[in-house]
Amino acid sequence: MSQTTQGSLVLLGINHNTAPIEVRERLAIPSSRLADATRTLLHQPGIREGLILSTCNRVELVTLQDNPPATETNKTDLLRFLHEYFAVPPNDIQPHLYEFREREAVRHLFRVASSLDSMVVGEPQILGQVKESYTVAREVGAVSSTLDGLLQRAFTVAKKVRSETQIGSSSVSIASVAVDLAEKIFGSLDGKTVLLVGAGKMSELAARHLIQQGAASILVANRTQSKAEKIAADFSSPAVYTEAIPFDHLYDLADRADIVITSTGAPQQLFGRSHGQHFLQRRRNRPMFFIDIAVPRDVDPRMNEVEGCFVYDIDDLQQVAAAHLADRSREAAAAEIIVSREVEKYQQRLHSLDAVPAILALQQNAEAIREAELARAAKRLADLTPEQQAAVEALTRSLTAKLLHPQLTALRESTRTKDSE
Amino acid sequence: MSLLWLRVAVLLYGIAALAVLPAALYDRPRWRHLAIPVAVTAFFFHFVSLAEMLNAAHHRLPIETHEIQVLLALVLAAAFLLVYWRYRTVSLGVFVLPVVFVLGLIPAFDPGQRQSSLTVNGSIWIFLHIALVLAAYAALFLSLLASVLYLVQERRLKQKKPGVQWLPPLETIDQIAHKTLLFGFPCMTAGLLIGSLVAQLTIGVSYFRDPKILLAFAMWLAYVVMIFIRRQSGLRGRRAVYLSSFVFLVVLTVWAANQFSAVHRFTTP
Repeated sequence: MSQTTQGSLVLLGINHNTAPIEVRERLAIPSSRLADATRTLLHQPGIREGLILSTCNRVELVTLQDNPPATETNKTDLLRFLHEYFAVPPNDIQPHLYEFREREAVRHLFRVASSLDSMVVGEPQILGQVKESYTVAREVGAVSSTLDGLLQRAFTVAKKVRSETQIGSSSVSIASVAVDLAEKIFGSLDGKTVLLVGAGKMSELAARHLIQQGAASILVANRTQSKAEKIAADFSSPAVYTEAIPFDHLYDLADRADIVITSTGAPQQLFGRSHGQHFLQRRRNRPMFFIDIAVPRDVDPRMNEVEGCFVYDIDDLQQVAAAHLADRSREAAAAEIIVSREVEKYQQRLHSLDAVPAILALQQNAEAIREAELARAAKRLADLTPEQQAAVEALTRSLTAKLLHPQLTALRESTRTKDSE
Repeated sequence: MSLLWLRVAVLLYGIAALAVLPAALYDRPRWRHLAIPVAVTAFFFHFVSLAEMLNAAHHRLPIETHEIQVLLALVLAAAFLLVYWRYRTVSLGVFVLPVVFVLGLIPAFDPGQRQSSLTVNGSIWIFLHIALVLAAYAALFLSLLASVLYLVQERRLKQKKPGVQWLPPLETIDQIAHKTLLFGFPCMTAGLLIGSLVAQLTIGVSYFRDPKILLAFAMWLAYVVMIFIRRQSGLRGRRAVYLSSFVFLVVLTVWAANQFSAVHRFTTP
């Protein structure tokens, strides 16, 4: 572990792995108070720069501190901040805290931004949350050169992880799996019609996801017509056509829908195999996607055998989500390698900055000697033509650079070695 | 010089065919950014090579087997690039680029000395006839390929396994299969019409009693029937593959019939 001339990087926090929800919710900072909390953090003794990342799964303080010896002192200071700001006794927090310093703090931050430390690995929201914290910290003047560089690097690493691995390419929630499958069938969902049969939170959530992806019409069928009308009204917006259709006309109108989401409490199946054949015939074989969230099921699974009908029940969706989760775990291994490589690069860059003052001093000293020697020889060189004088000037510069080269290389190497030790 | 350009093109097609594998199968954008420019460059060299080849032979028409093969490869590569431009999918490249590579490989490294028995006057009409019929063949090949891929994707979705990630959505594959057919139809119609007119003027009515020519018209009829059925019933999936395969078999028969035709041959026996 090494510290740099820029200060000492310390990251203190709790997350979903170390603390139960009861603790996390006591430390959660709403976005409206984030600026105030960051300002307060910056006023703690020894803190040069600071940033607070607060999400439902983590609260982390990323700080750049005056170079202290690696003791418990600064941890205590940060703990005191948490205690005072949130009015939570230190003993309630301390068992759940983790602390990372320098290289490990950099690694942790890169992992968090890349969604490798998230509860659902690969979820995309965390990068936006880190960016939001960074923006707030910048606005209150809590980050400058070092943390700014670190955060910018973390964003680049996160993007790299997303583009070079497939960590975020597959969905892991039921609603988003349903949308993914619909897109696998229809491509773009622009202009598609969704039929909601029955009512239920999950089916409505899936429908909302489909609308977000471009579905243009929502038809609602419910045994209670007033309920169907209420649900249709809930979806109503200028961009979406909504219609509550009479339940008695369900079989006459269902073929208008490209996607049918069923979640009734009916004890027997609503749609049989023959319904599928009938719908497909009327749709001239344009595919239909049935998302059956009901238990017991509303759609006869044999309808899936009809060419052009795709039937997924709740278990099927859950299985796809689980398979995607397993894929993400595999991709996470590749992402960890990228993060390790990037941590190494960042540390090297940081320590090459450490060598900058010494390198500058050496170069200035050499330049002063060169100029002094040229001045001493000025009389003897006075007879030279301007071209010859320029050649002597170039010669002395080249000599100085070549003499300095091994020393500068050694200096850069030593800072790199010091870091790797 | 034309051979050199063709070899460069074939080499580049080989690279593109390899690069398209990780681009499509593992969804690696970096490989896609390599595969497409390389395929476009290969297409450019391919075109230059064909133009030089025909120019050097002083007939300016692709009448020898290897020239036809080179032109067919060029048309297939163009079809793949058009599909990519329209649908932004490289998936078809997994199959099309290796075919283009193999079609170009033999003429590039073993051009041979096969002479045509056709008396060619350098007519632009014969060139159009050949190019249009080859474009129709390429369109039909792509349509058949897309129909098979539709079937694969449909099976995977029905088996409740996550869809084959590298394949485009079902509707997109269906559109590729359908639009390529629609594109191929006027090409085949115009190609056959031009060929018939030229034959009528140069050979006379006896040309139309040749089995190859009769088969060619049967192929056109099969093409019409296929488009009609697809449009009327929205045929997709398994039955669409059967139908496309049947028409493709007819096309292969027509191609093979060149060997038995008395009046329509690429090479001397």
